Amino acid sequence: SGELYCSLPNPRNVHFESINMKNVLHWSAPEGTGDGVLYKVKYAVYGVGKWIRKPECRNINRTWCDLSSETSDYEEQYYASVKAFLNGSCSDWMETTRFNPLTDTKIDPPMVSVSSTDKSISIILTVPEKWKRSPEEESVSLLQVYPGLQYNVSVLNKKTKKRWFFSISNNTLVVPWLEPGTTYCVSAQIHVTTPLLDSSFSKEHCIATLKDK
Amino acid sequence: GACRVSMSMTEIRAGFTAIKANIQSRDPIRTLSILSHPHSLHKVKSSDRCCITHHLFTFYVDKVFKHCRTEDSFVNRKISSIANSFLSARRKLGQCREQNNCVCGEESTEKFKQILANYEGLNVTSAAMKSLGELDILLDWMEKSR
Amino acid sequence: GEALLPAPQSISILSTNMKHFLTWSPVIVQGATVRYSVEFQGEYEREHANGSWIPISECSLTAATVCNLTEDIAASVAYKLRVRAELGAARSPWGTTEGFFNRVTTSLTPPLLRVLADGYHLLVELADMGPAFQFRVLYWRKGQESRVQQKVTREVSSVVHLDTMEAGAEYCVKAQTHVEAINRSSSFSPTQCVRAQGDTSVWL
Repeated sequence: SGELYCSLPNPRNVHFESINMKNVLHWSAPEGTGDGVLYKVKYAVYGVGKWIRKPECRNINRTWCDLSSETSDYEEQYYASVKAFLNGSCSDWMETTRFNPLTDTKIDPPMVSVSSTDKSISIILTVPEKWKRSPEEESVSLLQVYPGLQYNVSVLNKKTKKRWFFSISNNTLVVPWLEPGTTYCVSAQIHVTTPLLDSSFSKEHCIATLKDK
Repeated sequence: GACRVSMSMTEIRAGFTAIKANIQSRDPIRTLSILSHPHSLHKVKSSDRCCITHHLFTFYVDKVFKHCRTEDSFVNRKISSIANSFLSARRKLGQCREQNNCVCGEESTEKFKQILANYEGLNVTSAAMKSLGELDILLDWMEKSR
Repeated sequence: GEALLPAPQSISILSTNMKHFLTWSPVIVQGATVRYSVEFQGEYEREHANGSWIPISECSLTAATVCNLTEDIAASVAYKLRVRAELGAARSPWGTTEGFFNRVTTSLTPPLLRVLADGYHLLVELADMGPAFQFRVLYWRKGQESRVQQKVTREVSSVVHLDTMEAGAEYCVKAQTHVEAINRSSSFSPTQCVRAQGDTSVWL
């Protein structure tokens, strides 16, 4: 259909929100338009000569659109764009800045599992997986995407309130020679040097060492 | 032997990240890329990596940075930091080439010709600003192939 | 015009631990506040940008006689710096640094650290020196100087775990900084020793 006369205010703050390379386009409704606004979305691989419409996000009234599948190749960069419609009028196409999945995604903290003996705790860290289209699809760990990835681990002695930090490259850590019958709380963060990407620290996993036999 | 060049990717990356949005907003052309299309850097054979890197550092030093002067003092200072870092790294790469550790195969020569063709397809300021805005494409590729 | 104001003198660069400062002597004009502007030129500007100079906005029309160059001296190449005095419309000639400055010549001081024993655990806390710094920490059991162990870390201002200690034994630690960008290290800090809890075990 030919382009209508577009006098509708534009969608605002069109941007990607990306976590573990699940890349979702978000925007805010045009100013002062209330209910009834519909949107359509298109995207482009940077450097490739065409914009591609996203059928599942055509005439939608929500203000987000999951483009993870279309932007899953993190060796490419992307633009996305949104247009608003209301009562026969429309807005301009409003674009994101250039989106680079490799540097612009946020990484979740690692999964932390802790076990204990009377005098030690063992910690196993698991890096989150990259977003995938379906559970059946083969999993890709973010470790494969960021090979230089490291972990910062914090261990808090709940009795003495003292906190120790460990910087490790592999995903397991054993802390021996601890006090029996004492609770230790463990939290971990993923650290990628370049590109500079740090996850937040995971929530604390507390465990008590066994009481002295 | 291999060509091992120590360069502070972290500093270059930080410098570029600080001006990325500013520089990329000056490049309105979505449908053309200097570095990544039609041929992706990620398809370059490992044996050609050193040569392509040297070609690209020379490309940026000789052709790109000088045409990227802006009205923004902060941006100009960051471009200067990146340009001087590239100059330092190119010198080390040049030493590799002199010691024959940085051989140029047919593929890298072809790849670099394509990049120059992409560059010459635009007016010089647009081409330079687009190339600077694609620095993360180069850095991503260099880090991945380290 | 320009002749009224002399160029700043005694221009020099103080560089310690990758923090670089330009300093100069004040230009004295009775009853007036003289201001100064600083510009830098890297090897790239000299060789590929027609010898252009780049102003440092934080040190434009400053009344201070010092300028922090750290953000701009961000490559390991030869830089030149210049400063001139300004008073109203009057400008002095530029005063330029003698020779060049390359950050590889920065002076590196040993890190400040605090060594702790917590039960059987050997710990260290390192003072923050900026993003360019890594720390190489060496530690050994006293009396076993030939079996020195090493940990490289960037963690600062928090208690970093080095190793577990044998009951009652004394362990010693020293550290040096390493700056990857210039591939240089500081000298070592003084050695600090601490003792693990418990008695030294005796084999019968």
